[in-house]
Amino acid sequence: MIFFFVLLFLVLAAQIAELFIPALPWLYDAHIYIVPVIVFYGAMALPFPLMLALALYAGVLLDALTVQVIGGKVEISAGSSILLYGVLAGIMHGLRPLFARGHWEVHAILSGVFTALIVLTQYLMITFRRGSLVFTREIWWQICGPGIAAMLVAPILFWLLQWIGQMTAYPYGPDRGRFE
Amino acid sequence: MGMSRTNIIALLIFGAVLGYFLSFGPSTTQKFKAGIYQLLAPFLTGGSGLKKQITSVRTGLKSLDQLEHENTALQVENTELRATNRGLRDVEHEVNRLRHALNYRERSVFKLMAAEIVARDSSSWWRTVTINRGKRDGIETDMPVVTDEGLVGKTTTVSEGISIVLLISDENCRVAASVEGSREQGIVSGQRVTTGLTPLLDLNFLSKQADLKPGQKVYTSGVGGVFPSGLLIGPVKAFRVRELDGQAQLTPAVDLSHLEDVFVVTGRR
Repeated sequence: MIFFFVLLFLVLAAQIAELFIPALPWLYDAHIYIVPVIVFYGAMALPFPLMLALALYAGVLLDALTVQVIGGKVEISAGSSILLYGVLAGIMHGLRPLFARGHWEVHAILSGVFTALIVLTQYLMITFRRGSLVFTREIWWQICGPGIAAMLVAPILFWLLQWIGQMTAYPYGPDRGRFE
Repeated sequence: MGMSRTNIIALLIFGAVLGYFLSFGPSTTQKFKAGIYQLLAPFLTGGSGLKKQITSVRTGLKSLDQLEHENTALQVENTELRATNRGLRDVEHEVNRLRHALNYRERSVFKLMAAEIVARDSSSWWRTVTINRGKRDGIETDMPVVTDEGLVGKTTTVSEGISIVLLISDENCRVAASVEGSREQGIVSGQRVTTGLTPLLDLNFLSKQADLKPGQKVYTSGVGGVFPSGLLIGPVKAFRVRELDGQAQLTPAVDLSHLEDVFVVTGRR
């Protein structure tokens, strides 16, 4: 249970840190997102109810930062990030047996793919409101860049979170032989 | 294998909370956003201070390194003096910046509230910054934000001690504008995706005959009620004729990527 609260704290810290991490000018101003990687690790390491709680918490935070009310109109409605995190973390949770067998690379790749998917969904939602669906090279990089960055960061974060799990005597995980 | 009762209950609670959030209207959404930002305010202002300190130390180390390469025979006493000097230069820069801002506030015809930028938007699709002023400083939604160089944007979500400013480089920030030396009027808005350090703005709905020249200045026209007239938006970079209208590209007068201090226009003197 301590590990769950550590994850909650890390999600909050990462969400705030993201506000101070500048975009990458050499990657078409793509942003680095750490929160999804933490949430997706939580989806693998936590039991189903706690996974949903973590997705809910991260979704509320992301919603608070992304929803925009301009001229009395909501561009992305509150709850959309909760739904996104819930669905994606649920898929990740379903692939736990792979992680238990030591295939962490699948989850690292999926963390990147799902991070890009979050950005893509946001883009599709704003496009639905603003009109003119366009996909330029810059837009693809804005979508795929964060995914690639998440994919690269994932192995280090997974290792760190696994270590924190051991430190907090968290009983579930691939190295501890049990998941539920 | 079916789901356990605990899992089903968890899923139902998740669905109920999700439904609750999805039912939010614009005003509830804005209150929710303002509430979360207010909770995060201490971390945002603290993080901003920490970032400045780190940048300052990094800059200091860089110049020290350069000095070491230039002159390896520097004495310890000299190094200390140079470090002190550098510190004083930082203070001088800060004083100049604030004096500059203060002069602008005194000269301006508007009532201005000085604010510091504490955070920038981390999302890919919106251009916003967070400032350290809110309701308790008299800030309200849809107030113009400026610097002495020109228009920056407008406030959107305002909480007690912190506010979000939508930058003019955002596609959603639309400003009625007029072009100096012509009768042309149009609407300025940002672009959905910008690359490079300087974002460009689009000035739409011009007449096909507008034929604007690079360097011509574009100001707010005052139409629409949010932005008062006469605020500089930026100079024209290029003009092109489209099927139905003319469109100009503008370079923002304010360097939006290096903003530190801004003013919120709270009224006229």
